[in-house]
Amino acid sequence: MTLTLLVQSVLAGLTNGFVYGLIGLGIAVVFRGARIINAMQGDLALIGSVVAYLIAVSLGLPMILGFLLGVVAGGVTGFLVDRLMIRPTAKRRGTEDSFLLVTLGGAFAVSATVLLYFGRDSYVLPGIGGNAMVDVFDAAMRVHAIWLIVISTGVVLALRWFYAKTAIGQAMLAASIDPEGALTLGINVGWMRTMTLALGGLVGGLAGVLVAPLINIQYEMGLLLTLKGFAAAILGGLTSPFGAIFGGVILGLVEALAVVTISSGYKDVVAMTLLIAIMIAMPQGLFGRRGRLGG
Amino acid sequence: MLATHQLRAGYGSVAVLFDVDIAVGAGESIAIIGANGAGKSTLVRAICGLIPSMAGTIEKEGRPIQSLPPHARAEHGVAVVLEGRHLFGELSLESNLRIAETQGSKRRNARFDFSFEDVLDLFPFMRGRLGAPVGVFSGGEQQMVAIGRALLLKPDLLILDEPSTGLAPKVVREIVAVIQTLRQKGMSLLLIEQHIGVASECSDRAYVMSLGKIVKELDSTDWHDQSLLAEITQAYLG
Ligand SMILES: Nc1ncnc2c1ncn2[C@@H]1O[C@H](COP(=O)(O)OP(=O)(O)OP(=O)(O)O)[C@@H](O)[C@H]1O
Ligand SMILES: [Mg+2]
Repeated sequence: MTLTLLVQSVLAGLTNGFVYGLIGLGIAVVFRGARIINAMQGDLALIGSVVAYLIAVSLGLPMILGFLLGVVAGGVTGFLVDRLMIRPTAKRRGTEDSFLLVTLGGAFAVSATVLLYFGRDSYVLPGIGGNAMVDVFDAAMRVHAIWLIVISTGVVLALRWFYAKTAIGQAMLAASIDPEGALTLGINVGWMRTMTLALGGLVGGLAGVLVAPLINIQYEMGLLLTLKGFAAAILGGLTSPFGAIFGGVILGLVEALAVVTISSGYKDVVAMTLLIAIMIAMPQGLFGRRGRLGG
Repeated sequence: MLATHQLRAGYGSVAVLFDVDIAVGAGESIAIIGANGAGKSTLVRAICGLIPSMAGTIEKEGRPIQSLPPHARAEHGVAVVLEGRHLFGELSLESNLRIAETQGSKRRNARFDFSFEDVLDLFPFMRGRLGAPVGVFSGGEQQMVAIGRALLLKPDLLILDEPSTGLAPKVVREIVAVIQTLRQKGMSLLLIEQHIGVASECSDRAYVMSLGKIVKELDSTDWHDQSLLAEITQAYLG
């Protein structure tokens, strides 16, 4: 194996890793803030990328507008997921499993809707900097991939700051750690959950517009992204924004090395094997807290 | 300050409280005593809205609050330290207090304006431990965090559900001292206690609860009459 090939696969792994990490980030945000596993996270990305495509490509409006509205579409969908699916389920005293199931249903609904209107074709969303490449140790990397990494890192830092330093972020944490305790302090726990899902939706929409130029938009992409993102989030301990990105990068790199050392056909097998191994050996994930502290 | 009239509440469709009438006057400290399972915590949860009322009314200074959502009741000046405390265990002490402080800042012109500093003065042990997650604190320390957190809401009425249960005698004395300080400041208190000695020391009057009903009211004279308290303990807390 040449050095160039190795660098090339590491770069590809890194890029994919941030893709998984961004989806995992949304999953972690929603799990941390609402104790809900959102199986629609990848489909929020699908929605974000479809909206960006409609605006920037179909309507020919500026790319930046497509990006922004794609992100907003994710946030609005997250909000609607809470209002139309999570809230009614919670009212009927749904458990964590029922939330997972309703969002899984939602994921199929989104996928089917995209299939209905867009068919089986895949669509190309232009990336930041178009198809421009930069050289990294003789290997090539798309400018868009670098932006993906930079923006994801920025979002993680922003989220850490948001939860640690803002009153609303702290209230969202409080509402998820002890809903009754939060209610007695006057925190509107239901609204915190709505905002958590909207925030997860924004992250999902952002993932969509950043990921689509690399993998193309296609009606089935949501569930695959959710699976990889879930693996990333699990690796990172499921509640840590930083952990989700880190988990994604590990996953991406392991996959990339599997491709060069074994065969590209085994990429997903290796990734899922890693996930299962980590879940058995370290149920708290690489960054999870050992045993939650009681209150 | 607070009054319930013919209050009925419970879990699901099963009523636990029946026709409960209690009243806490402004600046008064009222105790509710009763055996395990009498319904004391259920009453607390109904007052702060964690369970809905099935019938009857709850009035805060004459305004019905029984149909308000729980988070709105805190804004009306009703603060509660629930049984089990319900702290945010993995967050730091400072976060726990600041979250309450932010919520309390929404109450304008509150009668009692407890600041972050005031709470640290009331519980000096907190000063050195602001960065520690409250989940690792001892039971007594957690109880104090829960009280401090409730005070930062600047409440008119503070409800304490079994603040002394499970604590060492020395810690119970510290909690009693804090309750006495709050009484001196004129805060209205509703104190749930199993420990009748502590309850009598910390309150002006009392209600005895049994099987979800108020079965006895004790005025100030009776409530501080040691021989009568022994009888009550025999009859209702045995
Ligand atoms: N979440 C619940 N669901 C159903 N029933 C409950 C629930 N919590 C309490 N109960 C029932 O309501 C009744 C009153 O319980 P409650 O907790 O109010 O008693 P308590 O007076 O606070 O007792 P303790 O002194 O042990 O705290 C009991 O019969 C109990 O079994
Ligand atoms: Mg109780």
